[in-house]
Amino acid sequence: MATTASSANSVPLSRPSGLLGRILGLIPGLLLLTAVGFAGKLIEQSIARYTKAHHITFPNIEYVLWAIVIGLIIANTVGIPRVFQAGVATYEFWLKAGIVLLGSRFLLGDVLHLGGISLLLVAVALTLSLTFMHLLGRAFGLRPKLTSLLAIGSAICGVSAIIAAKPAIDADDEDASYAIAAILALGAISLFTFPLIGHSLHLSDKAYGLWAGLAVDNTAEATAAGALYSDAAGKVAVLAKTSRNALIGFVVLAYALFWASRGQAEAIQNKAAFLWRKFPKFVLGFLLISLLATLTFFTKPQLTSLANLSRWAFLLTFAGVGLRTNLRELGKQGWRPFAVGAIGEAFIALLTLGLVYGANRFLHL
Amino acid sequence: MAEVQPRSRGLTLDGYAVLLALVLALLVRFNLIPAVKW
Repeated sequence: MATTASSANSVPLSRPSGLLGRILGLIPGLLLLTAVGFAGKLIEQSIARYTKAHHITFPNIEYVLWAIVIGLIIANTVGIPRVFQAGVATYEFWLKAGIVLLGSRFLLGDVLHLGGISLLLVAVALTLSLTFMHLLGRAFGLRPKLTSLLAIGSAICGVSAIIAAKPAIDADDEDASYAIAAILALGAISLFTFPLIGHSLHLSDKAYGLWAGLAVDNTAEATAAGALYSDAAGKVAVLAKTSRNALIGFVVLAYALFWASRGQAEAIQNKAAFLWRKFPKFVLGFLLISLLATLTFFTKPQLTSLANLSRWAFLLTFAGVGLRTNLRELGKQGWRPFAVGAIGEAFIALLTLGLVYGANRFLHL
Repeated sequence: MAEVQPRSRGLTLDGYAVLLALVLALLVRFNLIPAVKW
């Protein structure tokens, strides 16, 4: 799973030869994503309709959870046949398109306010969590580069950060696969635990969204964990996670320089070009759409249409999250990277929860 | 595990996602597609 997820990122979409063939090859998987996502939506609507008609009090379970669960069941029982795999791997593409479109639901002032708070909290959390992960990795006797990858993955932004860091610090394929598997397994666990903890602590939508965006590693899982709580929390989670993603280049650069200084990675010649290469460009798209919405470029009904387009894109993403999680493969990776990741994640979750409480009190979210 | 290869030309996954979102935003803005329902 980790392998194909990463190769989805590295596929040069611009290759002209066989472009039509490649696009046609995506169709079965795209249809599967749509079917799974739509099934989740239908289940949510059917339950809501049934409980309303029969005057039954039942908590609303969002389509997000149904789509992920259906995907998980398919992936871990019958599996995903090869013909569907390329299309299913596009879930990250839909996630990024959905995030850019979601920019229409934010005024730029809100983005700067909440994004600024997020960046501040991310900087504090990042410093503490990177230090903690390295101490933990040493205590468990993990290889230093595997510890670096786990630290980057859990402190910054999951799989994308690991993929970005791997060539920069010249890490082994095996280490990267371990780190990705551990981060994905922990992401799947956080999907189910975060909303439960949030509800039991009676967190507001804003506080919960900020927490999910700061603590859950992968952007897809952070978006889903936010959306599972409420629509408003999902929106804030995406913003907080996007702020965190924006820092990926700086962290990877720092690690690359560290390993290069030890003669265990290539020296970086042009740091500005390196930062630009690692910067997630969809953040710029998100800011652009947010700026256009702030300048009233769109009417109110048009903003509703854009928000709905973003929801449809996320529907495909959530289906993909379930379909790409292979629990058997995750189990094969050994317990030590997983244990370091799990302890680190628990630490980061507690740390960011404390930071969110502090921000709620002193910075007025 | 496949590596992310630096490319001298062509859009990345992020670039295509941004492009698609911007095209959709323009289609909505100029009413070239019907209102999108959820």
